[in-house]
Amino acid sequence: MPKLFPAQEIGSLPKFSWRTKPFRDTPLSDADVATAKLWGKRLGVEGTGDLIRILSRRKGFNSAQKKKIVEFSLLYAIRMEERAGLDLVWSGEQARTEMYETPVSNIRGFEFIGRVRSFDNKYWRMASIRSRPRYNNNYHLEEALFTRKKATRKIKVPVTDAITIMAWSDNHYYTSKWANKSIPPSERSFNARREFTLELSKIIRKVIRELVDRGVQEIQIDIPAATQYQSEDDIKLVVESFDETTKGLDASFSVHSCFPPRFGYSILFPHILEMKKCDRFSFEYGNRDGFARGIDDNSRSGLSDLRLFKEYGYDRGLGVGVIHVHTDLLPSAGVVKDRILYAAKMTDLSPEKLFVNPDCGLRTRSPEVAYKMLNLVTAGAKKARSELDPS
Amino acid sequence: MKSLNAAFREDSDQLVSLQKHLRFDHVSDGQFSLAWQDFLRPITDGVEGIRKGALVRWYNTNTFYYTPIIKDEIRSDGKAVLRRIEKRHLDSGSSFKVILPDPLTLTELADDRFYGNKEKLLFAFADNVLREEVRRLSKSGVKYIQFSSPALVARFREPPLSRDELKQAGEAVGASLRGSSARSGFHTFFGDASPYIPWIFDSIPTDDIGFDFSQTDPESLTPSKKGIIAGVADARSSYLESVGEMERKVAVIAERTGSRSITLSPSSDLRYIPREVADAKLKRLSKLREKLEDN
Repeated sequence: MPKLFPAQEIGSLPKFSWRTKPFRDTPLSDADVATAKLWGKRLGVEGTGDLIRILSRRKGFNSAQKKKIVEFSLLYAIRMEERAGLDLVWSGEQARTEMYETPVSNIRGFEFIGRVRSFDNKYWRMASIRSRPRYNNNYHLEEALFTRKKATRKIKVPVTDAITIMAWSDNHYYTSKWANKSIPPSERSFNARREFTLELSKIIRKVIRELVDRGVQEIQIDIPAATQYQSEDDIKLVVESFDETTKGLDASFSVHSCFPPRFGYSILFPHILEMKKCDRFSFEYGNRDGFARGIDDNSRSGLSDLRLFKEYGYDRGLGVGVIHVHTDLLPSAGVVKDRILYAAKMTDLSPEKLFVNPDCGLRTRSPEVAYKMLNLVTAGAKKARSELDPS
Repeated sequence: MKSLNAAFREDSDQLVSLQKHLRFDHVSDGQFSLAWQDFLRPITDGVEGIRKGALVRWYNTNTFYYTPIIKDEIRSDGKAVLRRIEKRHLDSGSSFKVILPDPLTLTELADDRFYGNKEKLLFAFADNVLREEVRRLSKSGVKYIQFSSPALVARFREPPLSRDELKQAGEAVGASLRGSSARSGFHTFFGDASPYIPWIFDSIPTDDIGFDFSQTDPESLTPSKKGIIAGVADARSSYLESVGEMERKVAVIAERTGSRSITLSPSSDLRYIPREVADAKLKRLSKLREKLEDN
């Protein structure tokens, strides 16, 4: 019988200091090595003796040792998710710089131009597209194969989509290309966005095709920027880009998005329901919800957008973000359970189609808090299952 | 390692120096501060009756703000913004400019759980918050107050405001400025302002009205005695406009409006592109000014 309220992570996990320092040429401290030992034991990671031996050098790691450090980092992430009880796991983007910088570093045509603040003290390294983007190499294959080999649970591979890469980049090449056309400014900008996006979709399809050919069965298409450009044409472009990316590929696809503008997810509807191969949407909701107990509309006002799925008769899968990821303030497992049960009530989806997850990737949290959050997700799901079926 | 606060101060000082070096008429501090982490934050964190809510996308950008939740009567002591400004910038001898969200933008982005009526909230922001802030800033030596109003034009899924609504938005701006002696501007960006032309000139009681000319066609302008903030350098792109390109736009603006005061400006604030690119845009605007002065 399929599990009710299966749990998943969305993408990233924080990196331990022993993973990051060797790549910044910063010597490791006793505490860094102790952390590797402690968490290795806590998560039941196999073969940590090899890692500790490498880390004991403290500095001057060669490329083979650095590769091993990254592989252990992937392994720690997989075991963290498995130990927390997630049903669908991933290696926490440990091999990636982050979800934007890794793809644009591996697609030709981009040039990094500097950092831009996203919020608080979070910045991204913006790249500018200076010529037509071209495929360079498969930037996800190695980590995907490693994860598939090591995971004891079902895996999914998150892949950043074309819309997001377009929206977070400086669209220099296509903006210049359209600059002198005699059409209204808004039309010029849209055409520049569309052309850039659809070129990227083809490249990303090639990356995914190889993953699928090598045995990956589930891909999460990450579209955090789905709600960035908000005109109806732009939302249709999100759909067009997804369909273009997944065209001709035989795998299971889900879509993740988060942090929409003040209108919430309503601006995506009904167009996103037309994505041909999307089996599940995973959206952030915990960010907007309070800590009051209850499954009434007042207590769960942050999840009110979920009504959209019922209104449009949606009957595929849905991942509900039940924990806000940009704070260390945690809800109780009871509140998480209430959020899950409210989601079930609001969407009318059967509980095996309703996944639960943190709102987004956990890379901005400490490993301790991230692990607590994952455990909260599964604890809340367990409580929700018990409430539906007390036996 | 230098502290984060010191790094922000250094960034801010460099920006002020650059603007002075380029002979800008008004200089701003770039809002580089740990206490000014999104455009609304001084209000969200520093005004009575407001608390910080969900993290939400700022218009069509990859930047975010915390929703101001209105949970009670809102009231400001007038120092929410001032306490985030370095005194040495105010005393630096240049005309110091402060940029604030206009009442309409605050009203549209807030989650109102107290007033229950958009008009009441609009004037609560104007009368109880912004007026106090503007007065205090003006008394402390701020020479230019700019209200930024993406809400007026960045209406990707909503129709433009009606003329009555525009008039009301202008009345709220007027209420905010009451008692201030600073020069004032009202800048619109992220969208096309042409649906509001020509009414915007009479409805908004600021000295200058600003347009994002990456989104608004300069040909849509009409005659006005107001000053024009000419957003001719696209603040969302690293594409560095040539002096000639911008000069052609300014010529159209001057010809269409007949305005005797045209302020050269980026299309919006420059936080959406890397600092190096932003500085290059400012330098290019300065070159444009030199060229126009030579003519």
